[in-house]
Amino acid sequence: MIEGISRASFPVADMRASLVVPAPQPPSTEFAGILNTLATNAIGTIRAGEEAAAAGITGAMPVQDVVEKVLAAERALQTTIAIRDKMVGAWLEISRMQI
Amino acid sequence: MIDPLTASIRVAASGLEAQSMRLRVVSENLANAESAGRTPGADPYRRKDVLFSAEVDRLSGATLVAVAGTRNDPSTFRLEHRPGHPAADANGYVKLPNVNLIIELADMKQANRSYEANLQVVKQGRDMLQMTIDLLRSGA
Repeated sequence: MIEGISRASFPVADMRASLVVPAPQPPSTEFAGILNTLATNAIGTIRAGEEAAAAGITGAMPVQDVVEKVLAAERALQTTIAIRDKMVGAWLEISRMQI
Repeated sequence: MIDPLTASIRVAASGLEAQSMRLRVVSENLANAESAGRTPGADPYRRKDVLFSAEVDRLSGATLVAVAGTRNDPSTFRLEHRPGHPAADANGYVKLPNVNLIIELADMKQANRSYEANLQVVKQGRDMLQMTIDLLRSGA
């Protein structure tokens, strides 16, 4: 269980480092797999938001589109962070367990 | 299957784009309200009307609004007696665009109101999503 949680948190940590947009993952039923899918799909949304922001500065994309995509990226980031905090909380809870 | 709140933001964004296109057409009409032809008897600028149509978004299944194009207003041109004008006909009459300032300003107001309404939908959708995400946080 602990192994699963820590493995799942890695894609979140790598989010800023990776430059390639990962392909959306098919849904998984395993706990760690579900979180992994969530994080990977969030990276794609955030990347789209960044591209939209860049296009918005040059005027290549309508402002409305840019705002919509950046808002989607913001939401994806917040959801990912909220879930990461939950996972870290769960992990700490387990580590505090009396042996 | 896309989240309905996200879909409603997408729909509202399409409304924003459609209304901004409408404002563009209104601005073209207003700017060209006095654009006459160049040769004697030539037609002046013809007022344009924007046409909206419903369009199903394949990703979300939601019905978006799209600009289907513009239509030329077939109403008659104004005639003004300006003998020295390059577009004046044999009797000295110049055809001027069929643009009516009152109609254009009313159309602009309507575009503005529609834009505001769509913006309100975006704000509402964002707030509702935010409140839902916040549920995860307050529990920690």
